[in-house]
Amino acid sequence: MMDQFNILVKKLLGTDIVGRNFAIYPDDTFLVSYPRSGNTWTRFLIANLVHPTVDISFANIERLIPDTSSQSSWALRRTPRPRIIKTHEYFDHRCRRIVYIVRDPRDVALSYYDFQRKYRHIEDRYPLESYVNDFVTGKLNSIDWGTWGENVASWFYTRGKTRDFLLLRYEDMMEDPFRELARTATFLGIDPDPARLEQAVARSSADRMREMEKRESKDWVATKNHRQDIPFVRVAKAGGWKEKLPASCVEQIESAWGEIMMSLGYELTVTAQVPVLPTPGKLEFQ
Amino acid sequence: MIARLGAAAKYLLGKDVAGRNLRTYPDDTFIVSYPKSGNTWTRFLVASLIHCEEPMTFLKADRVIPTIDAQSRAFFKALPRPRVIKSHFPFDQNYQRVIYIVRDPKDVAVSQYHYQIKRKVLQDGHPMEEWIPRFVAGETCPYGSWGENVGSWLAARQNHSGFLLLRYEDMIRHTDVELIKIANFLGIDPAPQRIQWAIEQSTADRMRKLEQQEAGKWDSTKDTRKDKFFVRSAKSGEGKATLPDQCIEQIESAWGPLMRWLGYETSSKGGGVHANPDVLESILEQPAR
Repeated sequence: MMDQFNILVKKLLGTDIVGRNFAIYPDDTFLVSYPRSGNTWTRFLIANLVHPTVDISFANIERLIPDTSSQSSWALRRTPRPRIIKTHEYFDHRCRRIVYIVRDPRDVALSYYDFQRKYRHIEDRYPLESYVNDFVTGKLNSIDWGTWGENVASWFYTRGKTRDFLLLRYEDMMEDPFRELARTATFLGIDPDPARLEQAVARSSADRMREMEKRESKDWVATKNHRQDIPFVRVAKAGGWKEKLPASCVEQIESAWGEIMMSLGYELTVTAQVPVLPTPGKLEFQ
Repeated sequence: MIARLGAAAKYLLGKDVAGRNLRTYPDDTFIVSYPKSGNTWTRFLVASLIHCEEPMTFLKADRVIPTIDAQSRAFFKALPRPRVIKSHFPFDQNYQRVIYIVRDPKDVAVSQYHYQIKRKVLQDGHPMEEWIPRFVAGETCPYGSWGENVGSWLAARQNHSGFLLLRYEDMIRHTDVELIKIANFLGIDPAPQRIQWAIEQSTADRMRKLEQQEAGKWDSTKDTRKDKFFVRSAKSGEGKATLPDQCIEQIESAWGPLMRWLGYETSSKGGGVHANPDVLESILEQPAR
């Protein structure tokens, strides 16, 4: 009852977290990805591109590109149009213009493991093997976003070929951020002026973001009140799984999502199998 | 402010429509489909399987298998578990057990067009050529386009053991075979007399008669034209037979690959603005840089 009362007050004040419950405008653009796939970096790149005269940092990023999982319905209403909105939601047919960032799920798993320790969702001693099992079978406590496969596939199969969908691979962005940001600029209807792109890339470098995190992590909504000994901006590299992820984990991820991974250009180490998830318990009807 | 106060009071009492905010349980089963794909018939069949002691009606089927965006959160909270719930939403990760019914979009289009006339959204004789492009764009109903709805579920859950995909056309042709699949999925004993009972309760003739008795009280038919019927052809192939060629072309060029993947005949090999599991690779062949 107390919980409900709190939600009630928040709804009245407009300070409830929006999630999927907000009005969408036809000129909204959504920056979508599964968590730990480079969304924050992309958010900085785009914010720096759109607002070349503003000093972008964790202190103002939520105002410029609000996050549906941390911002209120009031904050979203207040954001000037055309809005760019960050979200981790799986397919929502109301959203028309989509920039979707995808990252190799084997790296996502490693990054997410550190992140959930940072958030104290799991303890340091929780085995990585158990974590990857949770990750694949949809038992994470952040399951509101679906599994990696559900999230990625639900967007691709429905919108992958449409004009209003831009696919960015984190790995391509790492390889040539300038080139990928130019594509993004064109998609957003912004002149891909080389100087402007260069400045946005420089201002969003991993080193610079790490410095900002050090200064601002106690104020940013995504990092305050969480462990400060594990950084939010992590390795900022692709392919770390090859060294750090146990073979059994790699196999489990590949056998669950091999097909879609291959379609995205992520090479498999083992042959893909037909994905089958555990059977939920049988029901008993009278 | 008054509106927000009203919404807040409703929320506090749990009287707000459940919809996407329903609290789900792992033992919930969802009967999901795009609208006009045989969901009501399936509900009749399943409700009769679950309650095989007394005759099925529209109002009773609504109580046994309620609609997610027609009832409140409090209603669903009070419903005994395991619950069976009807939904038209595109992919929702909270649904762990899903019976998904799919129907040839050409037939869905014809059915939805007639239902909109019954609901006075369209007038008699509204040009089909005007309506089909809006249908294809997903503008004629609040659950996405046919391709988005079907595609999002197949993409996320195909091959998942908690996902049973049924084609309306198969259900029409071999109702018993498909209903046994449903019974097994629900953990209900598919005894022949039980299956037979459920099929008899759910024949198109019986449902048409019931509609005449219950139309004024049932949510989906009250306040709609009484000279048009909710239970309509109960057949497959109407789209191909009655839609103008250009309309069929528009549907196939939007969802051709997905239709073929599902085994639906297409007159051309073209199409595929929207992707499907078989052609996922081709999606990524779009200029990546």
